[in-house]
Amino acid sequence: MNELIIVLGWLGLYGSMALGAIGSIVGCALAGQAAIGAMLETESGYGRYIGVSVMPSSQVIYGIVIMFTLQRDITAINGAAIFAIGFLAGLVLLYSAILQGKTCASAINAAKAKPEIFGLTIAPAAIVEGFAVFAFVFALVIAGGIPSGI
Amino acid sequence: MIDPYVTLISSFPPHTPQLFATRQTPISRIKLDERLQMLTPEHAQDLALIENLVHWDRIAISTTDEEMVRRAEETMRSLKNQFIKDIIIWRLEQRTAVAALRRKNLALDVPKAGVRWGYGQWVGHIVRHWQEPTFALEKILPWLYEAKQFLEEKNHLGLERLLLSLVWEYYGRVAADHYFDFEAVVVYVLRWDVIDRWSRYNSKLATHRLERMLESGLEDFNAVFA
Repeated sequence: MNELIIVLGWLGLYGSMALGAIGSIVGCALAGQAAIGAMLETESGYGRYIGVSVMPSSQVIYGIVIMFTLQRDITAINGAAIFAIGFLAGLVLLYSAILQGKTCASAINAAKAKPEIFGLTIAPAAIVEGFAVFAFVFALVIAGGIPSGI
Repeated sequence: MIDPYVTLISSFPPHTPQLFATRQTPISRIKLDERLQMLTPEHAQDLALIENLVHWDRIAISTTDEEMVRRAEETMRSLKNQFIKDIIIWRLEQRTAVAALRRKNLALDVPKAGVRWGYGQWVGHIVRHWQEPTFALEKILPWLYEAKQFLEEKNHLGLERLLLSLVWEYYGRVAADHYFDFEAVVVYVLRWDVIDRWSRYNSKLATHRLERMLESGLEDFNAVFA
């Protein structure tokens, strides 16, 4: 049983970063495809499209910070806590990055047709980012209460 | 999780919200076909089937009703996507209702039993209610009465505008739930077809008007020497 908890602890430790990275990969790829498509049709504003398309990359950074915050000797005492925080935070980062990518793709598509609404179109993506930040910040707060591995 | 046609949809210039305010398609057919090369072979084949059935320019004038019905049935068998099937069925049912109105307006008889003249759920209903002004479909297809009036007044432009606006609005409604998938591509191309038809209709009208003006101008010119 102790071994299982230790394995779960390692999963949680690396999971926050790995799941965040998967989310960022998918989200950036989705929004990036939209940016490429928009650039085919427009004569200017390429930088804006690329700028919006990299918004989902922040989730992997949050995942890395959570991973380092959780890093300590993993034992049967703290393994379950590390797993719970790392894995659930990773799930939040995964979904938020993918859905933020979709939101960014829609924003690019809409801004291409109506450049004057560009600022407003990224508001939904910013709100999704806000939820990811909640999960990130409170993962850090709770991680402070996890006992050390001794 | 992954939307397959994000790049393709984003590369399309937007359609105008008002169909009749536009005078040309947002993208040329050559460019559109170039972009549509991003479709998978299966989707490209499906789109060609759909356009061959729905786009008037791809239907020869010599094509009989029976051939059209057979082509529609073959297309329906080939397509797997229910959303796209529903779009085509809606369009073919609209055409069936208009065909019945035209037939009646020309004082032709009710289609005989066994003759395949239309497609969809209203074929039998229309035959049974042939004597009714709008085939007892006015509650389901409220535009039929207006279409009948246009036909009686020989207002072909008015009828064309009515039918195209119905199709335009329908495509707009059904596209609301699709953003970056094949269904969105199909609806975009079908809307492109509608604009193309309307813009050609305008150019034909303009050509006729120019011819008439030239003729009247020549008549005046001849009269000077008469």
